Amino acid sequence: MPKSWPMPTDVPMLLELQMRLRRAILRGDTAEIVAAILGDGLDPAARVGIYRNHAFATLGNALRGTFPVVCRLVDKRFFAYAAHEYLREHPPHSRCLVEYGADFADFLAQFAPCEQLPYLADVARFEWALNIAATVREETPLQAERLAAIPPAEAAYVALRLQPSLSYFESPWPIDAIWQANQQDEVPTIDLASGGASLQILRAGETVAWRRLDPGSFAFRTALADGLVLVAAMSAATVKDPAFELTASLRQVFAEGLAVAFCISPKQETSR
Amino acid sequence: MSRSQPIPSCSVGIGLRSRHVSEIAATRPELGFLEVHAENYMAGTPALDRLRELRREYPVSLHGVALSLGSAEELDRGHLSRFKALIERIEPMLVSEHLAWSAVGGAYLNDLLPLPYTEASLDLFCRHVEEAQEALGRRLLIENPSSYLRYRESPIPEAEFITEVACRTGCGILCDVNNIYVSAWNFGFDPFDYLKALPIAAIGEIHLAGHHAAEDVDILIDHHGSRVAQPVWELHAAALRRFGPVPTLIEWDTDLPALGVLLDEAHHAEKLANADRRADAA
Repeated sequence: MPKSWPMPTDVPMLLELQMRLRRAILRGDTAEIVAAILGDGLDPAARVGIYRNHAFATLGNALRGTFPVVCRLVDKRFFAYAAHEYLREHPPHSRCLVEYGADFADFLAQFAPCEQLPYLADVARFEWALNIAATVREETPLQAERLAAIPPAEAAYVALRLQPSLSYFESPWPIDAIWQANQQDEVPTIDLASGGASLQILRAGETVAWRRLDPGSFAFRTALADGLVLVAAMSAATVKDPAFELTASLRQVFAEGLAVAFCISPKQETSR
Repeated sequence: MSRSQPIPSCSVGIGLRSRHVSEIAATRPELGFLEVHAENYMAGTPALDRLRELRREYPVSLHGVALSLGSAEELDRGHLSRFKALIERIEPMLVSEHLAWSAVGGAYLNDLLPLPYTEASLDLFCRHVEEAQEALGRRLLIENPSSYLRYRESPIPEAEFITEVACRTGCGILCDVNNIYVSAWNFGFDPFDYLKALPIAAIGEIHLAGHHAAEDVDILIDHHGSRVAQPVWELHAAALRRFGPVPTLIEWDTDLPALGVLLDEAHHAEKLANADRRADAA
């Protein structure tokens, strides 16, 4: 007969009980908890196992829902294994499961059994970006005319605030082609040597849209997203594309409705 | 039934799952209300927009699954704020949570874990219900869980525990008839006695769902993935006789069938409620 768990007469005891059940669920280590549980005709560890199986199954499903292409690339059984290993060390903090998996890509990058698939972590990063963009609401775009009143001397020091759902993503692998190919029943062959992708990801109504950008536009928009003023963003773009043209690029940013607000920064900030 | 009329308290609703949203919006089946898991709508996803559209046609019940009122630590204030923001957007007819805990030490375990039913956990749970009701600005209904383990030191019977929570905090009780049946089977108590121990005035909603038998062991699992079992319908009939007309929900969360199957179950629940009312009137 195991020694019975002391009566939890105060909250610290209940907290300790809950921490023990947490360890039993996440780590499978039931040694600390079984004495507190009645057998009722069954091994207490098996009773804990019912909760453990449910937690892992539902959290694993949540990850599969957020990373469907990763799951397809490695197959369901391997994904379940990887998700299980991830869950043990990285249980969710948020109570909203759509927000679970922020560091799953980093986990995959370090996960030895995945090293044969060097692009896998970037596919996960891309799917995470798509997932997060869908949770962020669109804001009303800023009209380009609002900038017209800015004195020419200050125009170079305008910083834009962009759509909150917007993100930029760069990979040495053709992640967009891999992702697209895996939306089909028959996956076509992807040429992994076809080069990387520089992508813009944005919530657009009911869906999330993404598209490739040329190196100059990618550098320009990434700099704007980082809060750099126009003159600094232009310098960043010109490094990637000496023929970068500011006026046309800026017009395109407004045409796509990417900017939602602006401010004029003091000149000293542009040196950062 | 015109939707502008007050909702009869015997109304029957179904759990809204994303796969059925378009069909419900297009066909507008006659239903007393729709219930959703609150956490699925706290991020600003397109799903929230579609729920708000359906809200124009149906009353909505918000069923929280992650507030973790039984945690032996402070409630998650951030989560409470998001819950409150959702309540303000949806203006739900009911707001409910569970007699359970699901998070500790910063980890959310996504399961409704059992509490030991002691005086200490009763004090803690009541404090958290009061805090949540105050933060949300709403009366909560607290649901009895399905259980697969009991603690060695848990001297208060569950029905007595949840009754005391309702008494002390003014919250209502969401009586999950399937959970009573499942726990009664798993621990060998009489589910009808459990019903008799609940306070009639506190019952604000009934949940009905399917369960299945675990492999290898004599345990029932509340899986929300099949039709309501016949013995659960019988227990539900007893609940109706005791509690009178109460909003009743058909829950179905896994192995989702066609919408028609859920509507069929809802129709059956409505027939039982009407039969009970006729019996009362006779």
